[in-house]
Amino acid sequence: MKQLRILPFYISLLTTFIVFSQQEKDTVKTKESYGIRVGIDISKPITTYFEPETKGIELIGDIRLKRNIYAAVELGFDEKTTEEDYLNFTTKGSYLKIGANYNAYKNWVGMNNEIFVGIRYGMSFFEQTLNSYTPNIKGTYFIPDTVNPNTEFKDLTAQWVEFVFGLKVETFKNLYLGASFSVKKMMNTKEPENFKNLYVPGFNRVFLNDMGVGFNYTLSYLIPIVKKKK
Amino acid sequence: MKKYSTLIILALILMLSCEKDDICVETTTPRVIILFNNFDEPENSKELSSLTFWVNENDSIVLNQTIDSLAFPIDLTQNSTQYIFKTNNIKDTINLEYNRKDIFVSRSCGYKTIFEEVQNKSNTFNWMKDITINQTTIENETAAHITILH
Repeated sequence: MKQLRILPFYISLLTTFIVFSQQEKDTVKTKESYGIRVGIDISKPITTYFEPETKGIELIGDIRLKRNIYAAVELGFDEKTTEEDYLNFTTKGSYLKIGANYNAYKNWVGMNNEIFVGIRYGMSFFEQTLNSYTPNIKGTYFIPDTVNPNTEFKDLTAQWVEFVFGLKVETFKNLYLGASFSVKKMMNTKEPENFKNLYVPGFNRVFLNDMGVGFNYTLSYLIPIVKKKK
Repeated sequence: MKKYSTLIILALILMLSCEKDDICVETTTPRVIILFNNFDEPENSKELSSLTFWVNENDSIVLNQTIDSLAFPIDLTQNSTQYIFKTNNIKDTINLEYNRKDIFVSRSCGYKTIFEEVQNKSNTFNWMKDITINQTTIENETAAHITILH
């Protein structure tokens, strides 16, 4: 009786080995596309349409360097009029962001989605126009007049660091929909005289502690150049 | 990983949305501070009885009060303001002249106006005996700008 049990054990062990070796032979050798991905920020034209005082366009691009690492770049133009309680000003300028993304998502075979974290170095070249302001005075004994200086502050610059968190989903072959959220920290700005860079293209609203946030909704197309084995 | 990231994002949004630069907390356009001192002892204050005070043609700021100091606004639309002090039905006027300068404060406060080269262009001496301008630049309310002796 004992012998009979040992024998099936060896038989089953052998078969599992056979099965495993068989499976290894069956495995399809998948290839992943490496290439340049180009696209646009689709939220910018939409906000331009609904808010006429805002104009903007952003082009995005990335290159897959390693399996999980992408070099990324964003290039954009922004024009925005900001209305505050005592101020009204227009910011106009362009910006460039360079950095890298790390894809933390483990794809199934044949899938090309991303959940990524990234870092960017951003720079902007812009000008501010102070359209109008009302001197702030407490009380209502004297009502101040609104001043329309239309002062232009040209050749302003800003540099910042940005942390990005987002995702990209391949919806059709090589066509990606993406969304990302970023937190920015201003490093260096050339401030206008007797005014402040309260809004910087690419950085958006500059908060009091020199922080900023941004949202991106992107549509991009992958131009496959090489296919590499997984 | 996913749970943590949502938490981090939510925390960041909350942090950034409750920014204090939405509320104006800085000091803005200063008022003029006047002290009424004793003519015989210029270092000591002396109350002015039943004072009625107004600016230009406007309503009175102070009506029939007994006080030893006064803070009042400066006209932001002109380079001179006329102040009328009436005590016990005796009227005195001071004409202040100044240059205005707008200084940027912050996003929520906007600009404040400071006053430079403040000078007493003309005044009457009915109850007033002397007037001194202590500070020719009015940019804050920390000290008295004008002292009136009576």
